[in-house]
Amino acid sequence: MDQGIIEVVTGAEAAVYIQTHSVIKKRVPKKYRTAELDIKLRKERTKLEAKIQSDARKAGVPTPIIREVNGFDITMERVEGQPVSLVINETIAEQIGEVLCTLHSAGIAHGDPTTRNMIVSNTRIYLIDFGLASYDRSLEARGVDVHVFFQSLEALHENYRALKKAFLAGYGKKCQDVEQVISKVEEIKGRGRYL
Amino acid sequence: MIVLGLEGTAWNLSASLVSDDEVLFEANSAYIPTSGGIHPREAAQHFASNVIGVIGEVLSSTDPRSIEGIAFSQGPGFGPCLRIVGTAARALALKLGVPLVGVNHCIAHIEVERWKTDLLDPMVLYVSGANSQVLSYRQKRYRILGETLDIGIGNCLDKFARSAGLRHPGGPKVERLAQESERYLPMPYVVKGMDFSFSGIATAAQEAMKSASLEDICYSFQETAFSMLVEVCERALSQTDKSDLLLAGGVGANKRLQEMLAIMCSERGARFFAPKTEYLQDNGAMIAYTGLLMLSNGVHTPITDSGANPNFRPDEVEVLWIKG
Repeated sequence: MDQGIIEVVTGAEAAVYIQTHSVIKKRVPKKYRTAELDIKLRKERTKLEAKIQSDARKAGVPTPIIREVNGFDITMERVEGQPVSLVINETIAEQIGEVLCTLHSAGIAHGDPTTRNMIVSNTRIYLIDFGLASYDRSLEARGVDVHVFFQSLEALHENYRALKKAFLAGYGKKCQDVEQVISKVEEIKGRGRYL
Repeated sequence: MIVLGLEGTAWNLSASLVSDDEVLFEANSAYIPTSGGIHPREAAQHFASNVIGVIGEVLSSTDPRSIEGIAFSQGPGFGPCLRIVGTAARALALKLGVPLVGVNHCIAHIEVERWKTDLLDPMVLYVSGANSQVLSYRQKRYRILGETLDIGIGNCLDKFARSAGLRHPGGPKVERLAQESERYLPMPYVVKGMDFSFSGIATAAQEAMKSASLEDICYSFQETAFSMLVEVCERALSQTDKSDLLLAGGVGANKRLQEMLAIMCSERGARFFAPKTEYLQDNGAMIAYTGLLMLSNGVHTPITDSGANPNFRPDEVEVLWIKG
């Protein structure tokens, strides 16, 4: 077992305990739903999240190594580094584009690829929190990912135009259909529903 | 300002007179199907037969010269129903020589609640027969953050209720039967990001009729469908850091749904508002009041743009009455 908890982060469905060398994500019970359903959902989602995260890693996307999946808990490697939201520049944005293209090419959509869910560690970009990820090759899912990433840039970074451009350059290196993704992003943006 | 509002999107024909501060008068004529569900043509015939009556009641409650605008439900709803209230509203506006304004029914549900509570900027769960959406205000629009990918929750409940031989409206009957059971049968739970789907539950519930008791099915149906809605609401609250949740729409009268939302909100320190049943249901006051907000901000609908809009989405409306 690890020494001491450095930080606890709580989201809508899980609490994340950050320790010196590991991170434990615990899906917390929801009192509003009946126990059978609560247990079923938390078990299934924990398993799925761990599986997608490992598959992403196998496909060449840097993600924390999963150490253990136990019931509603995932224990994984703690990746030391800085959140992309604090250090992003054009070089990093381009790298993120490459990473997201690799993920999408493996048939995985992250679901919430904001700059807070990315860590720069030893010049590599790690994707974290696969809680909303799915096996989805559709243009729609890829467009939503890129849109969510863009939204997080616009919310936090002054020079978001240059960062978007750099991201797309990175994304387009191996994802030849980048133009289609861009028009999908425009369509999604027009719906004005994602945050 | 005094505005007369006409609601008629589906089952309730309602005419109401409101001022800036209160509902002055309301007259209703509900369409109740003799068998099966709401039949759009029959509902429209009911509206056509009764629209003069309900408007007459409102007009005789006041001096018609005090009315400064006519608001009507322009959509979303059944085309034949919308056309009846639209026609009546146009005639009335022309006769009285006052501006006409077409109101989005969904936004009206939200605005009437904001009027009657201290809610400034809530997250909204809007659940009715045809609609199931999570919305909130941002930059001059009510944005749809999540919604059903197929049918509305109320429609799903009604479909199942009919197949189980329960009379329309099925929702309250399913709710009552569900209280008799605590045996959970797994049903398709479909949440994709912020969206959800109900058609699988309707099919699973009909299939379960072969082997399980109606009480158990009703219980499992509600638990599954409502958990999906509550989960998306929680995610929406978490993402936006909003701290109030408002329930709107007829399915919101369900006490179990209210209870689940209340538990979720109290666990995360948010406030939960379930309106009185009279405002959860379709009513003319909400149309009149939203029309009043629009007219006060210089919005009116020219006759040429006043046609029925059965698929009218709330994010099509520019919200000028909220500052910021």
